[in-house]
Amino acid sequence: MRHALCAMPTNCEKAMRKLYVEEKYCKGCGICVEFCPAKVLKTSEKMNARGYFPPESKDMEKCKKCGLCSLLCPDFAIAVSD
Amino acid sequence: MYGDRFPTIFCPGCGIGQVLNYTLNAVDHVVQKDDVSPERFFFASGVGCSARLTSHYLRFDSIWSLHGRAPAVATGALLARPELKAIVFTGDGDVAAIGGNHFIHVCRRNLDMTLICMNNGLYGMTGGQSAPTTSRGIRSTTSPYGNVENAFDLCEMAITAGASYVARWTTAHPQQCIQAIEKGIRKKGTAFIEIMTQCPTHMKQEPAKMMKKFRSQAVRLPPEKERGPLDKDQFWVGEFVDKDQPEWLETYQKIIDRFQDKTQSA
Repeated sequence: MRHALCAMPTNCEKAMRKLYVEEKYCKGCGICVEFCPAKVLKTSEKMNARGYFPPESKDMEKCKKCGLCSLLCPDFAIAVSD
Repeated sequence: MYGDRFPTIFCPGCGIGQVLNYTLNAVDHVVQKDDVSPERFFFASGVGCSARLTSHYLRFDSIWSLHGRAPAVATGALLARPELKAIVFTGDGDVAAIGGNHFIHVCRRNLDMTLICMNNGLYGMTGGQSAPTTSRGIRSTTSPYGNVENAFDLCEMAITAGASYVARWTTAHPQQCIQAIEKGIRKKGTAFIEIMTQCPTHMKQEPAKMMKKFRSQAVRLPPEKERGPLDKDQFWVGEFVDKDQPEWLETYQKIIDRFQDKTQSA
């Protein structure tokens, strides 16, 4: 978890949960959904305020907390913590 | 990072946001491991999509400078304050087309800076025209029947010009990118890191598909002897050069010290 340079100053505490998606930053590009090695992330049915479909974590038991989704996210919208 | 300026201005799935993510991870590693103050980092950028990274989103010292002249601006900053760790964000239109000379001469002088080039193979901000780095046969808005020119290999140019560290990765190699940028920041001398990024808007493809395509196209660099010919779409990735050679600022400081000693003793 990046704290010193955190993009989410307001939601840093929420990001301490296992996997947190900041929906208002998401642009629905689908990179995290495609690249998740454990196929935890799915595209949500709900639209965010900008009209994109953000990802949501379906079954968190499968999550290995590798952090690839937060690394690959171009919009700093996903945070993963141990 | 400025939290209130998010979400970023880039198109959905743009690789530039990913490069910023990798760079910040690398900077964070350097700050924590080497105990370097974040105030010692300095970011410069030129004009283009990639140039939006610095002064818009980073809470570091940063400058949004002239088109293609970001290496020159960073040179000036380094001459004034040699203790800075300069990171220059450039796009391929910035470093290959308009700022080609500045890029060559920064590599030649071997100044202590890290050049990160986001190569998406076209001019993104102006509408997807073909750039010097567009591969042969790729369709763009100015080459609707396929590009007829050969592409510019920036890494070969950096090696020829004499940079200390040259590497190329794609956005589909996150850990390798972070390690390369970290190494480049620590390196005394010019470090040139080319990161192939996707432009889903102008290539009209899905970002995840483009990244998977990068993964299939990228060929890890084998040792020098075994380097065979590549297929049409493939390109080498890996560390091309990692060598120690005299750095410009240190050499200049030695000259200054020598003359100051002489004047003091006289």
